[in-house]
Amino acid sequence: MQGELAGGGLRQARSGRSLKRAMPVWVGTLALLLPTYLWLTLAIFLPLLGMLVFSFLTKAPFGNAKPAFTFDQYLAFVRQPYLIDVAWTSLRLALVTTGLCMILGLAAAMALKQAASGRARTILFMLIILPFWTNGLIRIFSWTMVLREGGFIDMVIRAFWPGAPSIGLLYSEPAIIIGLVHGYLPYMILTCFISLLAIDDDLIDAARSLGARNYVIFGKIILPLALPGLISGAVLTFVPVIGCFMEPRILGGRVGVTMGTVIEDQFTSAFNWPRGAAFSFSMLALVLVVFALFSSVLRQGGIAREDG
Amino acid sequence: MTHVARAFLLGVLLFLYAPIIVMVAMAFNASPLYAMPFEFSTRWFGALAGDAVLIDSTRNSLVIAVLTAVIATILGTAASLALERKRFMGRAILRILLLPPIAIPWIISGTAMLLFFFWTGIGRGFHAMLIGHVALAIPYVVLVVGTGLKNVRVDLEEAAQSLGSTPLHAFFAVTLPLLAPSIAAAALFAFAVSLDQFVISYFLATPGYSTLPVQIYTAIRKGFTPEINAISALLLGFSMLAILAFVCLSKAGGTLERR
Amino acid sequence: MSAVDVAAVVKNYGAQKVLDDIAIHFQEGAFTSLLGPSGSGKTTLLRIVAGFVTPDQGVVRIGADDVTRVPVHARNIGMVFQSYALFPHMTVMENIAFGLHRRGVRGAEATRRARQALDLVQLSHLGERRPKQLSGGQQQRVALARAIVFSPSVLLLDEPLSALDRRLRQDMQVELRRIQQESGLTTIFVTHDQEEALTLSDHIAILDGGRIVQEGAPAQIYEHPRTRFAASFLGDANFLSGPTMPGGIEIDGRPIKVAMPFETRGRATVAVRPEKMSIDGPGENRIPAVIRQIVYAGATTTYLLDGPEGLPFRVFTQNHEANLHPVGSAVWLTWSPAHTILLAE
Repeated sequence: MQGELAGGGLRQARSGRSLKRAMPVWVGTLALLLPTYLWLTLAIFLPLLGMLVFSFLTKAPFGNAKPAFTFDQYLAFVRQPYLIDVAWTSLRLALVTTGLCMILGLAAAMALKQAASGRARTILFMLIILPFWTNGLIRIFSWTMVLREGGFIDMVIRAFWPGAPSIGLLYSEPAIIIGLVHGYLPYMILTCFISLLAIDDDLIDAARSLGARNYVIFGKIILPLALPGLISGAVLTFVPVIGCFMEPRILGGRVGVTMGTVIEDQFTSAFNWPRGAAFSFSMLALVLVVFALFSSVLRQGGIAREDG
Repeated sequence: MTHVARAFLLGVLLFLYAPIIVMVAMAFNASPLYAMPFEFSTRWFGALAGDAVLIDSTRNSLVIAVLTAVIATILGTAASLALERKRFMGRAILRILLLPPIAIPWIISGTAMLLFFFWTGIGRGFHAMLIGHVALAIPYVVLVVGTGLKNVRVDLEEAAQSLGSTPLHAFFAVTLPLLAPSIAAAALFAFAVSLDQFVISYFLATPGYSTLPVQIYTAIRKGFTPEINAISALLLGFSMLAILAFVCLSKAGGTLERR
Repeated sequence: MSAVDVAAVVKNYGAQKVLDDIAIHFQEGAFTSLLGPSGSGKTTLLRIVAGFVTPDQGVVRIGADDVTRVPVHARNIGMVFQSYALFPHMTVMENIAFGLHRRGVRGAEATRRARQALDLVQLSHLGERRPKQLSGGQQQRVALARAIVFSPSVLLLDEPLSALDRRLRQDMQVELRRIQQESGLTTIFVTHDQEEALTLSDHIAILDGGRIVQEGAPAQIYEHPRTRFAASFLGDANFLSGPTMPGGIEIDGRPIKVAMPFETRGRATVAVRPEKMSIDGPGENRIPAVIRQIVYAGATTTYLLDGPEGLPFRVFTQNHEANLHPVGSAVWLTWSPAHTILLAE
């Protein structure tokens, strides 16, 4: 046995290979990274750059058109003040939706943690997340069934009060907000619940043993520790909502004029692409400004996490 | 305290499910105007079978979703290997560059793609949508596979090399099999992202080529018909089944792992 | 098996010098320990021999071949990792046969040799298990079998025992030594555990700050440490510093004699092993001290004492008799000049 293990026969067979030199590491790294980043460049970075160029042109440079450089597309916000109102509508929708989602989402996550445990909790959790896996369009569309004149809500009310007038929520801002909250609440519950799960129950018992009341426990322990979840949920909600156009179109009708629908119009019916590009970039700027404002909160959240 | 929590949860579930249930119920209502009283019928589902546009767009959606899953998974897995396992300058920046597809509102990236693809002659339609969908899915793949890679110890690959594997063989013999569940999850994620994607498809669709969500949107804007309810109900059923299958599969995988 | 030679190896990570001009010869068939605290560069040195790290300067030879630029897989090394790094998706047998397969040994021959290796580590009955179903000690043995089954030129062990509990570790030390001697493999063993290094090795190299501070046979290093670091890292030591005088140094006005010849100049430091000192015993060197604390451990007792100028002392005694010196008693610490080791500082 010893002879077998000590045998040098195998080594002989391999000595021919030992001359091979190692390939430089960076070649492999580059080969791994290049496809992804070329793809992203083609699909995201170059288009964004192209859109930036477009937003400073008088007209789209297609065919024989001779576009010139201009700031006009951005000045539209000054010349057509209703655009400011539209931008404010988008921002308001995004802020209200995000705020409602944060309140409801955190409450639901806390309720989920408290009301059930083990298998029951997993099933409840799955039930909450499930709707999020269906197409957003369909979920928005389903609200028209509930909110429209003579829809589900009216039916329920008339069952108790025959001849009641229609609530007629469809085609109003509340309808849009209901639809948006419905769309993004599962996200928020998910991120908050994950944060809450990480909180050790002993921590709350310890606080209670030190004489903390419920509101102190909530304010000093649960909220700071759930903050990372709340914030990532807020980002996941805010970004799509500020750009939304399908939800206001379907649930808002004529009321639902947002930056999203204005941009959609510029690209699909007005065909003023430079104008649309300028609006898209203004929205991007708005998103970045809001992120910058909230980044201080984000940083505090980071500190809270490190402390914990 | 606990029953307050339970009541609240019940309210949330009601809020989440009520509209969906109403919508599905209406798919089985015979009246084309959603009129009451309810009269059971499957005529709207029958009508779908004859709707060539819906069938075409459904096939388009599936083809794009499958291709997106394949391409994004390969590209994203490769990138996450480099980002997770190699040390090089600019790694942090490359990670940040993965954010825009997720962190920029879709309407912005969608219109940017439309404008740029049109401008450069890439055009719209199938290939344009595929480019867009893959770009959206890649960050998710990198995230999911990257998390999986953190759980596959680096020294396993080193061990394989010490036993005579080239780095490439070590990857295929050791890391890849251990990473397979994460890669499968990432592919599924990419598939779902693509199948669900509406905004970007909407801007890149042509009159002759569109996906199911785009068709549904167009149909809704034309006016509500129970046919939309029927296709929505079908899609819903399909997603629920897919989720259930996924949960069962991952549970089976989990028990296998523990065994 | 082959001898391994490391010559003039330098490795920097940025501005940090990890290995500074390392030269060491690992003798064919010998068990050599690289001993040092964390950050001393011992693991980097092992990884340079394995090929995972390329040195900035210097040469690594396995046998007659210069392998400095040869990739890991072509070096024919066997390595046991700190975490064992067993492939979780393969059975024990598949793990062990991996290296054989990579060398073109397949089928019945591979099975036979893998079995043989499994027998060698006394796990013949566990071949079909998965690594997760094994205990830490068993995983350790599988990792060892996997590393030696294809008769590597050199066996590299990266702190393989550190994850085991104490009792198991002692068993594995005996086992490891037996297997190494049976297979006759040139073995390089990285550890921060001085006891492990002493028990297992034919040869020890002590590393500190990227340099080899001292190397030699275990007994030789233990009895004659050259520096304060070597003396305190390998075993315990009492240190005394004072002005030199002919034949020794002066502590608190008393002569401390040193047996080995040395130069009388300035100040010098000597080390004395705690078990070489006795309380109120024989010995030419004597120092008064007061017992501060007693640590009774059954077979032995450790006394902590305060000497002149508050100098701390530590003395190990075998408990031949039951009479302990009480705390607070003033005693004489005594030892022989032969056990007074002069340190280079």
